[in-house]
Amino acid sequence: MGKAKDRTDGELVQGTLDMLILKTLSRKAQHGYGIAQHIQQVSDEILRVEEGSLYPALHRLELDGMIASEWGVSENNRRAKYYSLTTAGRKQLVKESEDWTRLAGAIARVMQTA
Amino acid sequence: MQWPNRLYLRLTRAARRRQLDRDLEDELQFHLDMLSSERPDARKQFGNYSRLKEVCRDMWTLGWIELFLQDVRYGFRTLRRSPSFSAVAIAALALGIGVNTTVFSLVNGVLYKNLPFANSDRILYVSSIDRTKGGPRSMSYPDFQDFRAQMKSFDGLAASSQTSGDISDGIGLPQNYVCAQITANTFSVIGQKPVIGRDFTAEDEMPGAPAVALLTYGLWESRYGKDLSIIGRTIRLNAVPTVVVGVMARGIRFPTESDLWMPLPVPAQPNRAEASVMMFGRLAPGATLMNARAEAETIASRLANQYPDTNKNRGVLVQTYNKMAIRNKIASVFLLMLAAVGFVLLIACANVANLMLARAVVRAREISIRAALGASRWRVIRQLLIESTMLSAAGGVLGWLFAIWGTRAFDLAVIPTGKPAWIDFSLDYRVMLYLAAISIGTGILFGLLPALRLSKLDVSSSLKEGGRGSSGGRQGRYLSGVLVVTEMALAVVLLTGAGLMLRSFLNAYATPVGVNTANILTMRVDLPDVRYSRPEQQAAFYLQLKTRLEQLPGVEVAALASNMPGDGSSNLSSEPETTAPIDPQQRPKGGLLISPEYFRAMQVQLIAGRTFTDADGSTGVPSVIVNQAFANRYWPQQNALGKRLRLVAKTPQPWLTVVGVAPDILQNNEANMVHRDPLIYLPFRQQPRTQMFAAARTHVPPATLGDSFRRAVQEIDQDLPARDLMTLQSRIEMRSWILGVFGSMFAIFGGIAFLLASVGLYAVIAHSVSQRTQEIGVRLAMGAKARDVLRMIFTQGMRQLTIGLAIGLLAALAVTRALNDLLVGVSPSDPATYVMVALALVTAGALGCAIPARRAVRVDPAITLRHE
Repeated sequence: MGKAKDRTDGELVQGTLDMLILKTLSRKAQHGYGIAQHIQQVSDEILRVEEGSLYPALHRLELDGMIASEWGVSENNRRAKYYSLTTAGRKQLVKESEDWTRLAGAIARVMQTA
Repeated sequence: MQWPNRLYLRLTRAARRRQLDRDLEDELQFHLDMLSSERPDARKQFGNYSRLKEVCRDMWTLGWIELFLQDVRYGFRTLRRSPSFSAVAIAALALGIGVNTTVFSLVNGVLYKNLPFANSDRILYVSSIDRTKGGPRSMSYPDFQDFRAQMKSFDGLAASSQTSGDISDGIGLPQNYVCAQITANTFSVIGQKPVIGRDFTAEDEMPGAPAVALLTYGLWESRYGKDLSIIGRTIRLNAVPTVVVGVMARGIRFPTESDLWMPLPVPAQPNRAEASVMMFGRLAPGATLMNARAEAETIASRLANQYPDTNKNRGVLVQTYNKMAIRNKIASVFLLMLAAVGFVLLIACANVANLMLARAVVRAREISIRAALGASRWRVIRQLLIESTMLSAAGGVLGWLFAIWGTRAFDLAVIPTGKPAWIDFSLDYRVMLYLAAISIGTGILFGLLPALRLSKLDVSSSLKEGGRGSSGGRQGRYLSGVLVVTEMALAVVLLTGAGLMLRSFLNAYATPVGVNTANILTMRVDLPDVRYSRPEQQAAFYLQLKTRLEQLPGVEVAALASNMPGDGSSNLSSEPETTAPIDPQQRPKGGLLISPEYFRAMQVQLIAGRTFTDADGSTGVPSVIVNQAFANRYWPQQNALGKRLRLVAKTPQPWLTVVGVAPDILQNNEANMVHRDPLIYLPFRQQPRTQMFAAARTHVPPATLGDSFRRAVQEIDQDLPARDLMTLQSRIEMRSWILGVFGSMFAIFGGIAFLLASVGLYAVIAHSVSQRTQEIGVRLAMGAKARDVLRMIFTQGMRQLTIGLAIGLLAALAVTRALNDLLVGVSPSDPATYVMVALALVTAGALGCAIPARRAVRVDPAITLRHE
């Protein structure tokens, strides 16, 4: 798998993309492009979201009822599909970020003491 | 948890397919545009655009369900394109599935369904069995009380005893009803409550309690017009004033045919030797049949130790009502029918498989194209199986309608045979499951063979051949030949069985009774022991009845007899005076008690001697009449007149002198017994009894005298009903009715099988002729005569027919042995039946060959050759 090398280039760890999408949407409803841009900017260009993963993830989250979609008008006056967090998605986000904090803390502790 | 939500979204989205496609396109395009405004090489960065769309789209489609629906749509189009093929296939399957579902409903009604109320399968019957003789028997009341006190695996135990109830109440004429005596807890055990009034209580069953009764809904409706004031009213039941306390729900006729119920009194002097009640109980929650059996066995052996005098050999049998009530013989008839219709279904399957094989020729090109475009073998098989299952499902729907009609028709046909009311043939969930299973099963069964064959096609060669002849190969012809032979063989077996059954029915129906059955009205009157205990009282009643009947306008002559022709005989074991003593086992057992007018009323001429006079039986020389079978068996080649015989009883009986010899009259009441047993006739006055028939020959249509007969009885005793009032003609017809019903069932199955097999043969020959049109054209062009072409086609058809016939006749010889018990006057290997079946099949086969053959010889060589 040639992917192993890419991971250091900012490819997301499996499963974390969902959490980042939910987190991004917790601020306000956003379209796919906006979500990708936001993650990229906030992470100082370290995390790059690929379209090939973003859209399938969005559609899957919608099917699972975590997010809802609606057609709206973008900043540059174009028709765009806006995603927003549902109640279920909000709960899921809380749970996932807790898990993440715990996991990241654990990893950090291991790395410091070892 | 997520699953239902997801499925719903997918379903709704799958329905808005096009809209979603456009949305996805727009969404991605927007992203791309935004990206391009920043970077010119955006399109490249975006990666595989189509792949991304596919991934997203797959997410909201239904995967295999959509593929399946696609196949169904495709199959539907294919089937609609060849309507005649589809119609023939569906018709064949509808017949096959229809008769199967019908017969399965019948089997289900007879062998599996229990009493018609909720949870009746948890009601178990506990009957006593004699370990030395076997067979379920009634229980004694004290035994019942012991079981009731000790059984833990039942929620309650109750008992019943069958009796009869004559109702006289000032409304209409007295009538006899089926009455059950039941313990007071019966209805709470089976979980039923009266719709009006109250249930029996423990006081009601105490000896000496005031008489009370519960009515069935049916009786309340028919006799009392659903009058609510019936509760508390006093009616006369068996001449005892009885208060009606309640009416049960519609359809409740527990144990089976009751019209009303009385409490079963607790006996004042319990007798363990007297087996008088049926015992039943409701399984406690959690308890199983096995628990109940084990427990009952334990109690039975405890009782055997405790009361060896009466209970030494008594075992116990725990079973559902159905198991107790259905005898093996009737069960085997129904299973036999199920086997027969199984054959019909196999024939239908073979037929449709053959049609599909024939169509394979047309389909070969289409399948090859699909395969060439990348359809996997599995995909092709699945497509073909879906098509065949669609055919069988359509057949299943029609078959279901057929079954609804068929079960009703059968129900109506067997009601006159005394079908128990609890047997219900209607289609329940079991039948629906069976229907679904055979519909899908047959689809796969007849679809698999052609599908496997078609999917194995060599793509390049069949494309090159232009779809002609590719499946007409040796293997294909061999397969369809095998199918035709199988159909023929199965049809022969069925037709033979049907033929034998029909001949039995005709034999039974045509059996001469030995009396003139026209214009005779008969009825039975039973005298209650309580009021008619002395023989003189009994004789007086019947003689008075006879006199009244004789005086009715329209009556020519009236007579009394203990039994009617075709209705059994009485147990009158006798001992003829012969030179060599007779083995007690060989003694004649049956006889009739008659009044002197009996032979005149039946228009029977005695062979020798005289009939009885009024003097016989009262005083003077004790006299007897024997039938011819009796005279021939015990006094062969001798004059029976003046010979002597005596009845067999514990004390020696006086000798009776034979004064007449009567011709043999059919007395056996079993439909399949047409032989004539030795019988004696005794003057009724010599041995009066409480159960006699009165019969009258009339010179008006006998059915018109029904009410006069009933009134004649009531005028003598206001509480007595006339029972079984019917003409002798219908009595006799009833005897063979059941054979007629089953005979016609088998004839219908045989007929369908015959039709399907003939059509099958025809279709195969016709198809092969159409495939060989070109070859025939060449043959004719080369100088072959029409006769040669005809011979060629007939040889093919007849070869298959002959092989099928041979196999079928051999199989029939083996299989029809199973019918032996049902056959009357015809052996299972009856040559005439076999010859008829063979002739019918050969005729149908010849016809099936002749039609295509005629078409073949009309072929114009010039046209067919140019057609190439």
